[in-house]
Order: sequence, then C-alpha cells, then structure tokens
Amino acid sequence: MPPLTNILCMVPGDDAVWIAQLRRGSVEHCVLALLSHGERYGFDLARTLADSGGLIGSEGTIYPLLARLRKNGLVESTWQESAEGPPRRYYQLTEAGQLALTAFIDHWKVFRAAVDGILEEATSR
Amino acid sequence: MKTQSNANELIDRYLSQLDDALRDVPADRRVQIVEEVANHIAEGRSMLDVEDEVSVQALLDRVGDPATIAEEAGATRTPARVADAWVPWLLLFGGFALLAGWFVGVALLWSSKVWKVSDKLLGTFVVPGGLALLLPLSAWLIAAPLIDGIVVFLFALVAPVITAVHLDRVRRAG
Repeated sequence: MPPLTNILCMVPGDDAVWIAQLRRGSVEHCVLALLSHGERYGFDLARTLADSGGLIGSEGTIYPLLARLRKNGLVESTWQESAEGPPRRYYQLTEAGQLALTAFIDHWKVFRAAVDGILEEATSR
Repeated sequence: MKTQSNANELIDRYLSQLDDALRDVPADRRVQIVEEVANHIAEGRSMLDVEDEVSVQALLDRVGDPATIAEEAGATRTPARVADAWVPWLLLFGGFALLAGWFVGVALLWSSKVWKVSDKLLGTFVVPGGLALLLPLSAWLIAAPLIDGIVVFLFALVAPVITAVHLDRVRRAG
C-alpha cells in the first residue's frame, strides 16, 4: 500500500472530486491545529500545509480558507511589520476556534477509527 | 534590469487573472484574498536565490491556478437560484402586471435561501405592490394637502427602490 500522500497526489479525473471533499472537511481544522501553539502568518501556514503532502491543492487556496475562518469568527488577524519583506497578516485562534478544534479532534478520532475498521475488513478478505 | 521587469510582469498578470477569477466573490473578500496572495508572492520572491522568469514562474505555479483558488473561495457561497436575480425587480415593477408579478416576486422571495427573514419582511412590506402602489395612490395625492402629498409620493417612489437595491446587493454578496 503506498502512503496516503502519494495516492492524493497521483489521482486524476473524477477522483479529484472526493479528494476535494475530503480536504474541505479537514484542512480548515488542520489550520486551526497549526494555530493552537500561537499565531502564524499566511505564507508560513501555506508552505507548511503544501509541504505536508496532499492537504491543499496549491499554496494560494489557503487564503480563501483563512478568509472563511475569519468570517466565521474562528480566527482573527493582525498586521505586523516584518524585518525582511512586506508586512504580514498574522492569524490567531479565537476562543470559538479553540472550541471548534477540540470538538473536531474528538469527532475525527471516532471517524477515522470507523473508516479504518471498515477498510481493513474489506482489504483483509 | 530586463529579467526583473519580466518577473514583475508575470506577477502582475497572475494577480489580474486571480482578481478576474474572483469576480463573483463578495468585494471585501475578493480584495482581501488578492492582497494576501500578492503578499505571499512578495514573501516567496524575497526568498529566491536567483530571481529570473523561471524561478518566479515556479513560485506562481506553487501558488496555484487562479481558477482553483476562486473555486475554494466560492465553495461556501449561499446557493442562489437563477430566479433569485429577478426577485428585487419583480417586487419593484411586477405590480404593474395586474399585481401578479409582485405576488410572484413575494413567493420567490420567501422561498429563497439568499435572504434573511428581516430582508424578506422588508421586501414584502416596503412597499406592497412596489412602484405600482403609486397608481391607486395618485387619486388621493391630488386631493391631499400639498406637503402631505409630496411626502407620501416621495416615500412611495423612493422606499421600494431602496428596498430593491438592498435585496439585490444582499443577493450579490451571497
């Protein structure tokens, strides 16, 4: 079995649809998780997610996602000057974001176990 | 330097393609996304060892296809029906079609997911019949004291227009 990231990067065509759906439900919460240890700026988040393998389609797609999280009150942002390069918009988790992350982690564990259980049973025959 | 101006050109072209791809996204979010992507590119550019067309193009490729970014931006928009676009104008002018057009507008308004209840109440009651209300009103207006007549006339004219423009703006904002 190849690692999941390879599968996500390889598949063309219709598979793109369910991959997009898988991402849609989980990447937003991965962003919340990345912010749980403190504020980060967009470029940093985008590179981290892109380098994680398969979590986002391209670096730029993180910005609509961040705008959505901000609109829903799960993150907030502040502009800060940077020693090198342009000013950066830093994102922080709000209290609502923290709660959403905690809830997601609980659900994710149950969900992952359920999917793994069924997939393992299917492949072991 | 020539290569630098070419790199600038590549980036400008990319950003205008992105802005264009985001045309259906609400204006404030569209501006924010373009601004953030522009910053992302500037940040990535400052980290390049060699800045030429090839390395800048590779940077833009990592940022991704503008259409994909726009798709992500549009993914959570309120599902709007084609008919929703007609609602504000049916409410405004539909009354002239024996009132039937206005009733169709109200039915579409209340069955739509685009507007909140407060918008729906506004659309229904400010003002019933839309501009067509001016027709039955005119008989009274002629007999009414001048100042009263002008105030009521202006309200019956301006209020439904403002409501229609408001409903249209809410719909566009998704």
